[in-house]
Amino acid sequence: MEFLLEINVEEMPLAHVRTALSDMSEKLAKELAAARIPCEGLRSYSTTRRLILTADLAPGQADRDELITGPPKAAAFSADGAPTPAALGFARSKGVDVSALQVVQTEKGEYIGVRKAVKGRATTDLLAKILPGLITQLSFPKMMRWGTGTLRFSRPIRGLLCLLGGEIVPFALDGLASGNRTTGHKLHAPETIEVRSFADYKTLLQERHVLIDAEERKASILAQISALVAPLKAEMYPDPALLDKLANDVEAPFVVMGGFPDSFLQLPLEVLSTAMREGQKLFSVVKGGKQLPLFLGVADVTADTRGFIRTGHERVLKARLADARFFWEQDLKSGFQKSAPRLKQVLFQEKLGSYDDKAKRLEKLAAYLCGKIETCKKAAELSQAASLCKVDLVTDMVREFPSLQGTMGGLYAKAEGLPQPVVRAIAEHYLPAGADDASPASIEGAILSLADKIDSIVGVVGTGVQTSGSSDPFGLRRNAQGVCKIILDKKFDLPLDRLLEKAVSFYGDKLKLPKAEILDRLREFFAGRLRYLLDREGIRYDLINAALGAGLDNIHHAALRARALDALKNGPQFEPLILMAKRVNNILAGQTAPAVNPAHFVEKAERELYATSGIINDNVAPMIAKGDFLQAQKIIFRLQPVLNAFFEKVMVMAEETKLRKNRLALLQSIRKAMLQIADYGQVVVEGEKGSR
Amino acid sequence: MSLQRLILNLHHFWADQGCYLAPTYDVEVGAGTMTPDTFFRVLGPRHWRTAYVQPSRRPTDGRYGENPNRVQKHHQYQVIIKPSPADIQRVYIESLRACGIDLRDHDLRFDEDDWESPTIGAWGVGWQVMLDGLEISQFTYFQQAGGLEVSPIPVEITYGLERLEMFIEGQDDMYNLQWSDDVTYRDLRLAEERQFSEYNFNKATVKSLREQFALAEKEAQMLVESRLPLPAYDQCLKCSHLFNLLDARGAISVTERVKMIAQIRTLVAQVARVFTAPESPAEGAA
Repeated sequence: MEFLLEINVEEMPLAHVRTALSDMSEKLAKELAAARIPCEGLRSYSTTRRLILTADLAPGQADRDELITGPPKAAAFSADGAPTPAALGFARSKGVDVSALQVVQTEKGEYIGVRKAVKGRATTDLLAKILPGLITQLSFPKMMRWGTGTLRFSRPIRGLLCLLGGEIVPFALDGLASGNRTTGHKLHAPETIEVRSFADYKTLLQERHVLIDAEERKASILAQISALVAPLKAEMYPDPALLDKLANDVEAPFVVMGGFPDSFLQLPLEVLSTAMREGQKLFSVVKGGKQLPLFLGVADVTADTRGFIRTGHERVLKARLADARFFWEQDLKSGFQKSAPRLKQVLFQEKLGSYDDKAKRLEKLAAYLCGKIETCKKAAELSQAASLCKVDLVTDMVREFPSLQGTMGGLYAKAEGLPQPVVRAIAEHYLPAGADDASPASIEGAILSLADKIDSIVGVVGTGVQTSGSSDPFGLRRNAQGVCKIILDKKFDLPLDRLLEKAVSFYGDKLKLPKAEILDRLREFFAGRLRYLLDREGIRYDLINAALGAGLDNIHHAALRARALDALKNGPQFEPLILMAKRVNNILAGQTAPAVNPAHFVEKAERELYATSGIINDNVAPMIAKGDFLQAQKIIFRLQPVLNAFFEKVMVMAEETKLRKNRLALLQSIRKAMLQIADYGQVVVEGEKGSR
Repeated sequence: MSLQRLILNLHHFWADQGCYLAPTYDVEVGAGTMTPDTFFRVLGPRHWRTAYVQPSRRPTDGRYGENPNRVQKHHQYQVIIKPSPADIQRVYIESLRACGIDLRDHDLRFDEDDWESPTIGAWGVGWQVMLDGLEISQFTYFQQAGGLEVSPIPVEITYGLERLEMFIEGQDDMYNLQWSDDVTYRDLRLAEERQFSEYNFNKATVKSLREQFALAEKEAQMLVESRLPLPAYDQCLKCSHLFNLLDARGAISVTERVKMIAQIRTLVAQVARVFTAPESPAEGAA
């Protein structure tokens, strides 16, 4: 039977719509499976005002036999086979004759029981029970109440349409009853309509200017745009995030194209496109890489016959661009480098002083990093970029468009003729903006970005802010992830502890927590972010844990170790080595041993193991030093056969203390060697997986 | 049409919706939200409907009368309805029609924009309402005020009157708006903008502003202790405006800013608590 649910809401943000659809689909599928209702073709649709689910459901649960167990057989029947009061009572409570009781074999022995035919319940009844909970349990980053109700949701819920096989599934939510009605477009078809099926629903809404499929709306927007720009041989400047937002925000997508005076084209491209995108959610139009004095907007209407929408946008955009030009000229007049002292007036963090203080720390931290990174050749430029990178925070333009921070710094630095490396480092120092965003392209930009992020993390954590918690108000997670990503992308070999210590020391006495505690908190925190990035690369969690278990001080190397394990995990040598490493771990558990003394070896196999492991160590060391963990891992594989022979021929736990201690010491040294590559004990092999 | 005709239309419309029309409040505020007719009405359980015009002062927005869109004093039309009715969006759309806007030819959008005011410890969830790309209103379901959860939930609708009138008249320059049939916005407001910009940015005596701030803060504390939340709140508003003036003078350091906002917020939270306390005479009297 066809199921259809529409939750009618006031305009929900795109991110909330996405969460709601995926959570509802997942939970509904789960609840239906638990209720044994077969479900096929579960699909979801949405607009900013509607959350829609549809599926094909069985009309009800199948009828079935249920076995109910009662008392043990021994207690149910006396020696002569007559039913005891316990058996009689059980039969009565289940409404059956005592003769219907049967003996059931259970894990605990023989019991008596009764089989009863249970009639399956109707799907509509089950849905009526499931749906209210499903809706009220949805969770959003920010929730609200409305009216006199107690329900918390993303935005107010104003209607519920719920049908199964064309009939209303009756339930109530916070005083709102489900029904078979909805409304069309908010302005152009607000009257109520009755719905009988999904096909009916979709058609009726389409006639009433609502496209319920976001993909259809997106396709319509793109088709209208290309029809408008094709004659000009121009194109829309791609902006997938804006396109997604607009496709969510309108029910009747209609594209309008308008223009602005040519004179504004003197403004930097970044400024123009930001003023258009952020102020008014407009797309830019480009031709051969050049911006045209045109915009594309998406309205929620069926037509702009009188051109009011186009001219409205033109008027607002012109005022915005005039503002932007005023800011641009004003900022140039104030002077970029000359504005640096004004950073004293801008607060970085409540307990951490101003951005001027931060800039001074960044100069030092960037200089330290430059000394540690071979490819950093432009120390003087880097230092200048560090001192100036935050100055754009006092410009009028960034105050108006905060997302242009960094970008404006770069543009103003360029306008004052600063060297190219300085300009780029300033412009790039907020990158990467997310896990999918590119790291800074220039080495100076990468170093400045690292310094900025590490300084922020250390400062915030040093004031006592916790790194855990689902929200990230201080951007700790984002920054730590940025640090890991830059280190991986740029292949920087940096000692994390030392770096953090430096960053702490540049704060002087401003931090509340002692250095050791800050470092303790941050090691695990960085490990978490690195795990996240490696997990995104598709590396198994146990391999990541094993690689990180071998040390995290060099983040780049930790990632290389994880990738080496991942590359070799399906080879024939992998699992035998893991099993052997686990055996070594087991035997060493709780044991202590002094250093190896070759004079105490008696068996040939132990001498061979000692000799081979020595050679392997010598071969592995240079591989590790140059970060070739693939090769190092391959060499380590050679330990497996000699260890195998050792365990076959040699009794490790010998009676004689001297022999035993020496053999344990040998294994200890081998484990230490292996731990340079991975904590193999954390790798899960076949047969263990079930228990995890 | 003229700006005063727009105000009259809104007055008629919201009076018909059962709102009491409050007189403009006589203490300087940064937004209609801050006046007692919003702040105290949204606290406590009693149902309220009110609408009023509130001149709103933002000294840092002053442009000496030279910017066609920015002024240090603009006018908000503020509506508070508690609890928020289920059809409030439709009613709001009706109010635009009542102002003479034919929505068949325009694009009206509720665009995600949550609102927050750290100084009065208030936040809400809602939208900026965009008409053909122009922000004409802020539409907010209050969740907290004075640091307290509000219940039932009020809805606040704030129309930017100058913006809306510019839309209606198709005007690019605020000063060209008609206030009445024969008086323009320029006639009434240009001199004020010039003089106040000069005062706010250049002439206000920093020392005196600081002293006034300290006095108002002290007065507010005394009034909170005397359990007189209504006059105490007036003193908080004075603090807030003095803070804005000091800010426009560029006289507030980094640490001071944080401290002063926290001072006002703490006072306002105390006012809210005294006002909503069960033994308080204020709710009944208000």
